[in-house]
Amino acid sequence: MDADPLAADVNAGTPIGVAIVDDHPVVIDGVRAWLAREPRLRVLATGDDPDEVLRAAPDAEVVLLDLRLHGRMVLDKLAELSAAGRRVVVYSEHSDPTTMLAALDAGAVAFLAKHEGREHCVATVLAAASDRPYVPPALAGAMVGDARPDRPSLSDKEREALLLWFQSMSKASVARRMQISEHTVKQYVDRARIKYTRAGRPAATKAALLARAIEDGLVRPEDIGIYRSQASADRPTP
Amino acid sequence: MASESGTAVSAGPALRPLPRPRAATRSGAATAPPEAHAVADASDGGARIAVIVIAAAWHLAVALPAVLRAGPGMAFPAVVAAGWLVTALVGVGAGVRLLRGGLPAAGPLAAVLLVVDAAVVAGAGERFLFSTANWVWGGLAWFFLLVLWQRPVRWLLVMLAAHGTTALAAVVLYGATAPADLSRAAMYVYGTSTLPVAVFVGAAALTAQARGRAATAAATLAVAAEREAAERARTERQARLALVSGTAEEVLAELAAGDADPADPAVRRRAVLAAARLRRLIAESDDVPDALLHELRAAADLAERNGLPIDLVSVGTPPELPVEIRRGLADPLTAALAAAEGWARLTVVAAPDEVVVSLVTPEHDGPDEPATGGDGPVEHLHERDGEIRWTQTRWRRT
Repeated sequence: MDADPLAADVNAGTPIGVAIVDDHPVVIDGVRAWLAREPRLRVLATGDDPDEVLRAAPDAEVVLLDLRLHGRMVLDKLAELSAAGRRVVVYSEHSDPTTMLAALDAGAVAFLAKHEGREHCVATVLAAASDRPYVPPALAGAMVGDARPDRPSLSDKEREALLLWFQSMSKASVARRMQISEHTVKQYVDRARIKYTRAGRPAATKAALLARAIEDGLVRPEDIGIYRSQASADRPTP
Repeated sequence: MASESGTAVSAGPALRPLPRPRAATRSGAATAPPEAHAVADASDGGARIAVIVIAAAWHLAVALPAVLRAGPGMAFPAVVAAGWLVTALVGVGAGVRLLRGGLPAAGPLAAVLLVVDAAVVAGAGERFLFSTANWVWGGLAWFFLLVLWQRPVRWLLVMLAAHGTTALAAVVLYGATAPADLSRAAMYVYGTSTLPVAVFVGAAALTAQARGRAATAAATLAVAAEREAAERARTERQARLALVSGTAEEVLAELAAGDADPADPAVRRRAVLAAARLRRLIAESDDVPDALLHELRAAADLAERNGLPIDLVSVGTPPELPVEIRRGLADPLTAALAAAEGWARLTVVAAPDEVVVSLVTPEHDGPDEPATGGDGPVEHLHERDGEIRWTQTRWRRT
């Protein structure tokens, strides 16, 4: 639906390896079935223990992680994996805003509510594989409703795009409503998401998201409060 | 079907707004609720009346007759009489302020009373020094209370010390320094000071205690109200959960037994409805339901009973809103919901200064909604873009 076409180009040759960690076999089977219909993705390993799954599939590029394993919230595990550079897409039935934002803070590349369906799931995994943001509607809602004092400061357009995307779940409708192109809507939403890489503790995955966003021209370093020295060698002088 | 009776049960209380206790009461007596202030004010009001009555009675029933009796025998009768009159005026002024709930201007009035004190002691003269005609000794302390009401007790002690010094100075100046005179003077000062101090301190203590007790009682009540509301929400939620599990189980059992065909649109619709309902239930995280969410939930339940799968997602806690703003936010949505076909997504995004409610449903051929507009602080927007119908209401704090 809203998957970034670039994500596919990058990995045109070999499919992207995905690991699924969930303690409900029925969910694993369901997600596997969703992903199986997407030729660019291949499920490498599944199981209910993140360490075991990643031992079985050390090359997995994206980890789909259920945030609640055996009755416990595994935010600490998520932080550990993210710090180690694992691209973790959290998917959970706990779609309350606090949990979603905590997952982003811990370094999750994306948060997917379990009820958000196949299209969002595939799009999120594809985007995550290339370190690009993907914001499903539930996450957009959590971001626009973020009332924490240290929340990233979003522009009015970014807030409006997030709000309308959360409300309508259709970027085409948001585009018509804001009288901009769908591409611009996605830019606003993604830019807001990139600003969240500056929240919480640093993680390799956050740095990767940020670096890719700068590379893609989605954000400028100064937009998100990163100081770059004028003497920096790679910066063209005006 | 079981669902019919079940929903009817939950629809009853669902339409009743729930009490919403103030968060402030949790912080305890430090920030006493208005109820506590009312109780404390009532206690203080009683003490004010008592002190005014004592001062007036002393001034009229004891001081006035003694002054009149002594009359021209005093050194400067006019000064004593003028002092009595000035004190009466101060008393009336301070008393009126106190009865109206205010406080008199302590500084200037206290100064006036101390001047009167010295003038009357001098005016009464040596002969009447220890008699009731020198009325300031016994009665003036009550007027100190009137002008110093609710001020720090040390102010009163300072004034009484000045009062005692004046008396002592007179005793010494008139040469009444015999041991008997001195002890009589000491007894007078002691006797006329202790009672006013006791009344002053006692009234302040009673008021503080009343405030503390009332604050505790109010906090206890607030906790109880909150608990009751939470309990009611829990019961309601359990009733709905029982109903939802019932319908979900039914579909699942039929599917498992092979009685229902997953390809059958009717079966799929039942499954979709049950799932949407379960999701809404899971999404309810508020212990004490907010009034706006409560209304929207009731409307969603109603629409769902007519067979419309509906998602209700809310982010943030709405602030306490006046009824007309809540109406402005919810009514266009409930109207649009009644006309919705296919499915519906109802969202609420709330912050202390802004609440946005939105309903999105697929486009259909039905009649259009009332035009976009807005009355007062709530902006109302309705749009059809060929794909979806979009109703949004938005309130911003101005």
